[in-house]
Amino acid sequence: MGQLVVNGLSLGSIYALVALGLLLIFNTVQIVNFAQGQLLMLGAFIGISSAVTHELPVATAWIITAVAMAFVGIVFMVLVYFPLRGRPPFLVILTTIAMGIVLENLALIIWGPLPVSMPSPVHGAPLRFAGVVISMHQIFIFVTLAVILLLQFLLLTKTRFGILMQATAQDLHTARLVGIPVNRTIAVAFAFGAILSGIAGLLVAPIFLAEPTMGGSLGLKGFVVSVIGGFGNMPGAVIGGLFLGLIETFGARYISSNFRDVYAFIVMIAVLVAWPRGLFGEKSSEKV
Amino acid sequence: MSDPPILAARGVTKRFGGLVALDSVDLDVPRGVVQAIIGPNGSGKTTLLNALSGASHADAGSIQIDGRELFRLKPHRIARLGLARTFQTIRIFNNLSVIENVKVAGACNTPTSLFGIVMGNAHQKRNEAEIEHRAREALDVVGLGGRADDRAAQLPYAQQRLLEIARALASKPDVLLLDEPAAGMNMTESMKLLSTIAHLKTSGITILLVEHNVRLVMGISDRIAVLDFGKKIAEGTPEEVQRNPSVIEAYLGRRHRHA
Amino acid sequence: MKTSNFKTSIALAVCAIAVLMMPLVTHDGYVIQLLNIAMLNAIVVLGLNFATGWTGQINFGQAAFYGLGAYTTAIATKAGLPWISTPFLSILVVVAASIALGLPTLRLRTYYLAMTTIGFGEIVRLIIVHWEPVTGGTSGLRAIPGISLFGFGPQGQIQHYYLLIAVLAIAVLVAARIRHSSLGRAMIATKDSEIAAEQSGVDTTRTKLLAFMIGAIYAGLAGCLYASSVRFISPDSFSGIQAVLLMTMLIVGGMGSIAGCIIGAVTLTLLPEALRFLGQWYLVLYGLGVIVVIVLAPGGLASIASEMRLRLASAR
Repeated sequence: MGQLVVNGLSLGSIYALVALGLLLIFNTVQIVNFAQGQLLMLGAFIGISSAVTHELPVATAWIITAVAMAFVGIVFMVLVYFPLRGRPPFLVILTTIAMGIVLENLALIIWGPLPVSMPSPVHGAPLRFAGVVISMHQIFIFVTLAVILLLQFLLLTKTRFGILMQATAQDLHTARLVGIPVNRTIAVAFAFGAILSGIAGLLVAPIFLAEPTMGGSLGLKGFVVSVIGGFGNMPGAVIGGLFLGLIETFGARYISSNFRDVYAFIVMIAVLVAWPRGLFGEKSSEKV
Repeated sequence: MSDPPILAARGVTKRFGGLVALDSVDLDVPRGVVQAIIGPNGSGKTTLLNALSGASHADAGSIQIDGRELFRLKPHRIARLGLARTFQTIRIFNNLSVIENVKVAGACNTPTSLFGIVMGNAHQKRNEAEIEHRAREALDVVGLGGRADDRAAQLPYAQQRLLEIARALASKPDVLLLDEPAAGMNMTESMKLLSTIAHLKTSGITILLVEHNVRLVMGISDRIAVLDFGKKIAEGTPEEVQRNPSVIEAYLGRRHRHA
Repeated sequence: MKTSNFKTSIALAVCAIAVLMMPLVTHDGYVIQLLNIAMLNAIVVLGLNFATGWTGQINFGQAAFYGLGAYTTAIATKAGLPWISTPFLSILVVVAASIALGLPTLRLRTYYLAMTTIGFGEIVRLIIVHWEPVTGGTSGLRAIPGISLFGFGPQGQIQHYYLLIAVLAIAVLVAARIRHSSLGRAMIATKDSEIAAEQSGVDTTRTKLLAFMIGAIYAGLAGCLYASSVRFISPDSFSGIQAVLLMTMLIVGGMGSIAGCIIGAVTLTLLPEALRFLGQWYLVLYGLGVIVVIVLAPGGLASIASEMRLRLASAR
């Protein structure tokens, strides 16, 4: 059972990363990006292209992916955010979904439908104790999540730019009036949001195979995590992610592995119905 | 006045977090009068209207219309019990025509069945005719009869306000709540509004009016209640209220604090 | 006003004649079948219009209702039940599903509603895929018995074509009746201003649920006809991307407009076939096309058409 916990937590860390990317964008521009999963997929494939097809060292592949994802994030912003400012959320949702379709099919054209893998940046024998096996990669996942959280926290609270980003997130109009370079902070949000998902993709590829249609369900789970943790709430996203990872792993083992994806939705609906605020966050139902 | 008030509110209280927006407000509105509620900004006038109409429930208190309890009922039930309202910021149905807007409220107490709608039976046709009749009546009262088939979104601002009133009237309410009906209107439009309200009074409707324009209020109201910081500080005829020292202080005091 | 009504009637009559003559013009069974599917899609989109177009409730679960209707029908007829029972069974299943989905979720806000309806669609798809003994899993169900009433039923694509035209016409008629009734007005009012609708006596919760249910019934019945006319179904026809496609049919055609639903459905059913040579690129261009339409013409083709009509009228 301890094994399930470890597996669940490492899976959950990946979900948490997707959610963090979602939240970064949502907190800044109030857009929920339904293509976040496809960004993860893109990150995975760029990494695979670099590391496997072009046989570059894995560390280099990671750097290339991060840079590429930042670029993708900006393109995303230009195509989706600027043209649709002020439009009803329904249309924005559909636009991000459409982007997801574009990215997925581009990936199918470029890389084909077959699942592929890439090596992990870390090597070594897995740790074993108390009957539980923890692979180096799983440790790497935990460490990556922790590092990202720390960096994000430091960036947002200790640097000047980070504080500007928080201001933009809280009140865009006033921020602009006060002279904050709002477009720049939005661009950074999109870039980092994409990078976060890209990293999640790089973490997923070594343990689960990557294929172009993987984005859909992973993006959904990222959203579910955000709902569980309370939309807008970063620590909540992390806890929500780990929680979901555990539920999914235990559910697959004890109930049925066919319905893995369903557990996420059931949990989400249960949370939405019982705690409209998410477990930690803001209201999700209509104000009368 | 041996007649019981048509609208009776007791101890209505509403808190937003730590802020007390309404502090145990009592209000009796006699049948057929025009009663105004005035007070400085933030005194709780719209909060009170919201509590009465069910848009934002009070935390405590009792609200009765014609003896029936309204407290914590859903707004559509309150509407069906005879209380209709207009809004401070215009909330017309932009995707419907002018007359369709009014018809929405006209269906208030007309039960329609899905089966009847789909079949197009005689019962349904009678309902629709009745709703159409009510809607045209209401539009005529406010003078919008000629624009019945226009898209509601195309009406100029002042006429949109009148449309909201027509819509509220279509549900044949006993009590009509008007939330700042003259906001954004110029002199001519306000005068027209005044005469519409006066005309409504003759039909027996009780009108509860929240307004900033104190002069307009003085001209049309039979009774005035004054709120300040969520408490009712005065009530009476326009003359009595005008002379009331606490009322003067509430308005003047506010001005001083802002200066 | 009278002349434009007259002109509209002429235009409609011409369209009607063209539609009815279609099978005489093209004997290609493939094209006719495509049109049949387009009409079925139109019915589903008309259903989607109630909840999303008029009442403003995002619903990515419409494809799932379509699938539930189709699978219920296929399973029932293959099990030997008479065809006449299938419309009723389909309605029963989708109504139950729509209530189960609708009750807890209809008060949710936009993004959450989108998510839960997507989730619902996924759950239905997974059930279909994994319940192999009953649903045939990913291979689907073949050799589904066709429509049969007292031993009679449409044979061949052309007869199905005329049957579907009749069904579509009824679907349009019912939708129009609802639009011009207090229910239709209540739906649109709920979308435009839920608070004002409530204060005007509209039970918005009931309205939303009704819109949802009626939409599900449309999709369920379309699914029943799909199974009985195409006679082969698989989970792919009702999966996630289909839900998105339906939504785009609604938007491209013109949300809230009955004619728009039909235009959107026909256009986006025929287009992928016409552009088949593009292969995988079709979906890429499709996605980009949707974005372009949303940005430039959010009212869809129907709004472009009425824009043009207004311009032509004022140019005189």
